[in-house]
Amino acid sequence: MRHVRGFDVVRPLSIGMLIFMMLPLVFLPLASIFIFGTSNGLDKFWSALTQPEAIFALKLSMATSFWATVFNVFFGLFASYVLSRYNFWGRNALIVTISLPTAIPTAVAGFALLLLWGPYGTLGRLLTPHGFQLMFTAGAIILANIFVTFPLAFGVIKPVFDTMSRSLEEASATIGATRWQTFWHVTLPSLRGAIVSGALLTFARAVGEFGSTILVSGNLAGRTQTAPLYIFAKFNEGQIEAANAIAIVLALFSFLIFSVLFLARDWLDVD
Amino acid sequence: MVKAKETLIPRVVEPVSNTPASPAAASVIGISKRFGKASVLENISFDVAEGEVLVLLGASGSGKTTILRIIAGLEMPYTGKVVLHGREVTELPARERGVGVIFQSYALFPKMTVEKNIGYGLRIRKRKRKEIRETVNELLQLVQLEEHRKKYPSQLSGGQQQRVAIARTLAYKPEVLLFDEPFGALDTQTRVHLRREIRTLLKKVNVPSIFITHDQEEALELGDRVAVLNVGHIEQIGTPFEIYNRPATEYVATFLGAANVLDAVVRNGFLEVGSVQIPATVDKEKFKPGDCVKIIFRPEDVSLNRGDFLQKGLSRLGNALIEEINFVGAYERVRLRMDVSGADECKTDETPFYLTTQTPERQSTKSIIATRPKPEASATRLHVGERVTLALTSFTVLPSKGAS
Repeated sequence: MRHVRGFDVVRPLSIGMLIFMMLPLVFLPLASIFIFGTSNGLDKFWSALTQPEAIFALKLSMATSFWATVFNVFFGLFASYVLSRYNFWGRNALIVTISLPTAIPTAVAGFALLLLWGPYGTLGRLLTPHGFQLMFTAGAIILANIFVTFPLAFGVIKPVFDTMSRSLEEASATIGATRWQTFWHVTLPSLRGAIVSGALLTFARAVGEFGSTILVSGNLAGRTQTAPLYIFAKFNEGQIEAANAIAIVLALFSFLIFSVLFLARDWLDVD
Repeated sequence: MVKAKETLIPRVVEPVSNTPASPAAASVIGISKRFGKASVLENISFDVAEGEVLVLLGASGSGKTTILRIIAGLEMPYTGKVVLHGREVTELPARERGVGVIFQSYALFPKMTVEKNIGYGLRIRKRKRKEIRETVNELLQLVQLEEHRKKYPSQLSGGQQQRVAIARTLAYKPEVLLFDEPFGALDTQTRVHLRREIRTLLKKVNVPSIFITHDQEEALELGDRVAVLNVGHIEQIGTPFEIYNRPATEYVATFLGAANVLDAVVRNGFLEVGSVQIPATVDKEKFKPGDCVKIIFRPEDVSLNRGDFLQKGLSRLGNALIEEINFVGAYERVRLRMDVSGADECKTDETPFYLTTQTPERQSTKSIIATRPKPEASATRLHVGERVTLALTSFTVLPSKGAS
């Protein structure tokens, strides 16, 4: 290819190729959800969506994800603060441990929780006789969500802590602020962007969590069945429309979260 | 430690550097600091008077930042005390000391506007809204940033951010202002401009201030007094005039601008540099005959003369050959080679700290740097290869290291 003055042929070619690659990977599968889901008319779509079990599944997903997110934001902040402000023996080991769940298959994570808290699990065996049964409840789903998504929130918040100049906090201290005032007025505002994106990432990931949820929840329709589990169950029963309706909602929801993430990043990081 | 006391200074009285004019507003008494086994500060003591500017001048690693952090309460001293307006604060955390620190990076809070930044100290002290607003307005006026009050720090220039940082500390009436290399991040022009501005500002607010810097020009211009630090101890404290013109140690002499250093022996009222004899003017009693000393003089203290006739008041140094003449803008720099043949029993073993000579001379000749102001340079033109008579308008004599 000769180089034409002022025109680099590699540029449009590589952009075109990238889009072409993304077609079968992302664009077409997503498009087919919408095409298929609405092919029988919006009425069918709506009635599939308003099934009590479907609504329950969506609500449960949102609620469990919400609580997992709340926990992740607070504990993620705390863990990031400790691990980036204090240097102690075993610090790196702790950081690796916190990040480990990202590398663990979610089914393994769910299985591990089951082995600990389940009726015959290491701890569960001792607690079940006293009427404490964590597994197969909404609490178990939250726990699994936290287990799987905590590294996400931590991974977003900690780097911001690391790069934040110590002199801001030192300045605040010399001006006369207590640790709490410094955290509240100085540290936290600088973390706003990281907290929002950490929360949204956690939430998006938790809403879609399947592998660990199916093991710890028991997948009981109308009781512990989350939206992804509902899709899977309806698909197995051959009720493609029912599965598809929820799939559309989840897909739209993830679009929404990512647009917020994308737009809010710029908005929140204004210095 | 080399002490300032044993100086042999021509035509001057004893320096009065260690006591500020008015009582101390901030004192550091016998501070030392270790990091692990490494000692970074040894027995640092100084006072700063109300409204006075003290500059801690030192190379990187001299411990100047550590002193500042100890005063601010961001670092604990190993021994010693910090006293602010008569109150010992050594054990107090930073927030209870009421010091104002202007960090090198300014450390303005990025998510607060200029006025929020300035009012921060009062807000956390739970002052009334009205009082905060009034103070902020006053300070905005003082640092001339009224039209920028709603801006965020990132929208300001370096110099403006600096002024916000100062206003932010002045808001809560600090016991002492501490400046940590405040001009380090700025270009030369802004730096010169800003330090004049800040000097004027500080004279208005009457708060004791401590600056740290490695820039000697900055130190001389900003400081009412300057403390020269070298690897964790103070070499000399004095007015800019004193430390420049009457350096107490060779380190001070060479750190503050260029200096020529000659080894000499004291002998019957003369200082002998090889075969050259210089009449020892004052303070003869400070040195015994046979003592090894160093003669220190600045390039601008060297007078170059054709022929043997010298003006009154000059001390003859000897003959020298002009090796190089450089035009350096405001003045002319001349490198000369002086004859100093003859034995020199005072040659110290260690390689001396020369700033101005390229190579430490082995013997018999000595490289000297002289500068001449423009009028003189154009009145009597000198040429490379010419021989001239060297004389000194003033010089300092210090004991040689190792000599008692």
